[in-house]
Amino acid sequence: MDSLAEESFGEILENWGGFVACTETLLKGKGDPSVGSQLVPLVATLCVHGLGSLAQDHFLQSLAETFKTNVVSKFWQQFHAYRDGPRLNVHEDWREEVLNKSVEEMWTDHEDWHEEVLNKSLDEICTERSYMEKCVLVLVHALQSYDEGITKGNIEFQHLHSHLISRFQLMVSSVLLTTLPLHFPEVLRLYFRKKLEELSTIIAGEYEDGCESQIDDHYFNQQTKRSHLGDMDTIGTYSAIAISNDNSLVKSIGKVVRELRSLGFTSLTEDAYASAIFLLLKNKVHSLAGDEYRSPVLQSIKDWIQAVPLQFLNALLVYLGESIDYDSSASGLKSPLASCPFSYPGIDTPSEGLVRWQLRLEYFAYETLQDLRIGKLFEIIVDYPDSSPAIEDLKKCLEHTGQHSKLVESFVSSLRYRLLTAGASTNDILHQYVSTIKALRTIDPAGVFLEAVGEHIRDYLRGRKDTIKCIVTMLTDGTGGNSSGAGNSGESLLEELTRDAENQENADCDEDINSDEKQAWLSAERWEPDPVEVDPSKCGRSRRKIDILAMMVSIIGSKDQLVNEYRVMLAEKLLNKSDYDIDSEIRTLELLKIHFGESSMQRCEIMTNDLIHSKRTNASIKASIPQPSLEGADQGKTNLPLNILDVTIISSNFWPPIQEETVNVPSSVDQLLSDYSKRFHEIKTPRKLLWKKNLGTVKLELQFEDRTIQFTVTPVHATIIMQFQEQTSWTSTNLAAAIGIPVDLLNRRINFWVCKGILAESVGKDSNDHVFTLVEDMMDPNRNGLTSSGYEGLITADEERERSVASVEEQLRKEMTIYEKFIEGMLTNFGSLSLDRIHNSLKMFCLAEPPYDKSLQQLQSFLSSLVSEEKLEMRDGMYFLKK
Amino acid sequence: MFPSRSKMKVKILNWHAVASWTWDAQDETCGICRMAFDGCCPDCKYPGDDCPLIWGACNHSFHLHCILKWVNSQTSQPHCPMCRREWQFKAWEQRRRGFQLETPGQC
Ligand SMILES: [Zn+2]
Ligand SMILES: [Zn+2]
Ligand SMILES: [Zn+2]
Repeated sequence: MDSLAEESFGEILENWGGFVACTETLLKGKGDPSVGSQLVPLVATLCVHGLGSLAQDHFLQSLAETFKTNVVSKFWQQFHAYRDGPRLNVHEDWREEVLNKSVEEMWTDHEDWHEEVLNKSLDEICTERSYMEKCVLVLVHALQSYDEGITKGNIEFQHLHSHLISRFQLMVSSVLLTTLPLHFPEVLRLYFRKKLEELSTIIAGEYEDGCESQIDDHYFNQQTKRSHLGDMDTIGTYSAIAISNDNSLVKSIGKVVRELRSLGFTSLTEDAYASAIFLLLKNKVHSLAGDEYRSPVLQSIKDWIQAVPLQFLNALLVYLGESIDYDSSASGLKSPLASCPFSYPGIDTPSEGLVRWQLRLEYFAYETLQDLRIGKLFEIIVDYPDSSPAIEDLKKCLEHTGQHSKLVESFVSSLRYRLLTAGASTNDILHQYVSTIKALRTIDPAGVFLEAVGEHIRDYLRGRKDTIKCIVTMLTDGTGGNSSGAGNSGESLLEELTRDAENQENADCDEDINSDEKQAWLSAERWEPDPVEVDPSKCGRSRRKIDILAMMVSIIGSKDQLVNEYRVMLAEKLLNKSDYDIDSEIRTLELLKIHFGESSMQRCEIMTNDLIHSKRTNASIKASIPQPSLEGADQGKTNLPLNILDVTIISSNFWPPIQEETVNVPSSVDQLLSDYSKRFHEIKTPRKLLWKKNLGTVKLELQFEDRTIQFTVTPVHATIIMQFQEQTSWTSTNLAAAIGIPVDLLNRRINFWVCKGILAESVGKDSNDHVFTLVEDMMDPNRNGLTSSGYEGLITADEERERSVASVEEQLRKEMTIYEKFIEGMLTNFGSLSLDRIHNSLKMFCLAEPPYDKSLQQLQSFLSSLVSEEKLEMRDGMYFLKK
Repeated sequence: MFPSRSKMKVKILNWHAVASWTWDAQDETCGICRMAFDGCCPDCKYPGDDCPLIWGACNHSFHLHCILKWVNSQTSQPHCPMCRREWQFKAWEQRRRGFQLETPGQC
């Protein structure tokens, strides 16, 4: 036994030594055929002694050693040069930088550097690898020869072969991956980027040349006859050019991919070209979309995806022999995507892999475009409706990504710091609000997003004093004189809204809101839907109409307040413009009636009726009195002709409180008024007139020796200047007494004539008493821009004119003063109170005549007027008594 | 400084005045509906010509529509709701004359 064992032992040692030496020769030597045959007996002997697997292990380990020391380190060294390249190791900034740099710039720096290096070193390492694979085959052969002596079957051999080869593969990739330098993935990415750029440029050039077929056949198989089918309707997009898999560019890329895969870099490679493709796509989206909001870009992007990356991928997959649908046979589970009606120009049957790529790329495009648009949503809305193509694109993107909440967050924050600031005028905010509503109706038919956005804007606007006035002006003023001039001039917002509502009525029954879409919004926002609107019974459509008017009213608080403000503004307009376009106001009124109900607008209707009746009365009174022919007569002396007089006769109970001031109008005018009065009383007995002499407008002509100037002014202004016919110089005291108005009012009003250069002001004997003198000679004809017989348009600057009717605030103020003491008392007791507390206390305790019936908004505006009078203070939503 | 006669003349091209109308009645409100005379009765939308006042022989005035309703609702001979005197419409001419003669208060 011992001798046998010793003998065997010696034999084993001898054979093992031979095997090791042989292996080394095999691995070092290049293709010495004799080594293979030497190996066969050695392996056989070792196998006999049960050392076959040990031999395999040793063999592979030696391979690994050799591969690592001789091949891999050399391979990585090739790329050392690029390790410190700024674009290669600044991983994080890389994308940004690429985005900022043009592609050409990128690549002219690099020339063809690593394309060559990569190709060459890949070739080398693959040669080494395949030599080693051959070595493995030699071992396999040796083992096989031994096996054949014992068993007679190919199964064992097959198994052995694949087992050893896969161990070898594993060894290769693990050696490479464990030594992988950090910058290598970047090298690959750059390589693919460059190649894709080349391809893209070629295709784009192709596109621009309009397919005049000067394409190198070497590069392309042109298939211009093919057109996009299915859902890809093409509008002036890339013509269908199929990149064939024997295109040399694709070939060279394919070769690199194949070599990389053989080295075990399969996923690394795919990552690299995927990220190159995505980057390219991102660049494309940015360059196509950019700051262009006025034309749709989504379709062009999708077409580009078809034309460039998908063509490339298809060619690549075909080249790599993977165009066959490998999934369908592998599992019974067929992807639901496979049924999608995609069509690929020049590709007859897209593989599932390609379909998946398309979905990935398109999703990425949606997301990129969506982010781009959301980031600029504020500008897009400012540009609305011209920017509606961008809105449409965004809508489509969101339908695919479902990232509505992103839009909400981003837009609300941009509103906060760009719009809802002290610097923005109320008008601008309102216009932007309306544009926002209009623009987002498309994206958000359910109105969920608007609810959120609107809340911010409404809260902000409630704190502004001029909000109601601006809203009313915006709604009813058709002159379009207000800043941002979006929309048709000459058409008020109300008219537009009414027209929209009518159109919506007509179109509504066809389009039903996609409930998924609404669901997407709701889940995106996690809001409770408005319970009133949820009722789906109405005509089978659960659509919540986005009512711009209602949204505007909700800023104000109630429609009554809006109507009130409108009434005051209407009164101002009707009283201060002698030739007011009453027809347009009646039109507005009719529209308001539609929206707010007839009874709400009754008082306003009476006001406009008064104007219509006044015109009739004027005509009949003038007709009833024989006109003395006074042409050329001196107005100063004789009676004025009645035909210069027009009267607006108001039903004062229905008008806002009138600001009455006494004024002694010139006696000739006074005579005219009382003649008119008498006549009115005769016609309309038992009704009589009460004059509001300070109200109205006077058109007059100042006649100097060398010039005449026309003005349209208030009766007080007219009365003032007429005093200077008799006497060229007046002190303010005397003049005020003559006219019958307070001196301070006179000083304010007379200023108009001083500004126009008609009167000159000087300080009299008493420094408080100013002296006004008529400027009879025009010393400087250009003074104050006056030219002879020039017509000085309408009255004056606004501050000159005092209001004819009490403003809503003034009325409210009057009604609220009785509660002022009560509020003060509460604040003395409690120190500080919130708006709600004050409101509720007033409701609870002020039940006596008149009971407290004001809205929260009204109370708030009253309190803020007390704050501005420094009676109260407001901090953090609490009111305090000002100490 | 001597105030002198000016060489400037002011020619009024148009004087657009504002006035309010009112019923020439003794009371402010209608004794029947308690609404202002210068407003209108509860059944009317527009004041003035559309909802006139009417005087009784007793010289009390009401909205025409209010007193007509009152008169029609009375089963027996109607009386003035204010003074309980027998209600009779004052003749238009009579009233006008009354004003011209300035002899009110025959009530
Ligand atoms: Zn009445
Ligand atoms: Zn009536
Ligand atoms: Zn009576």
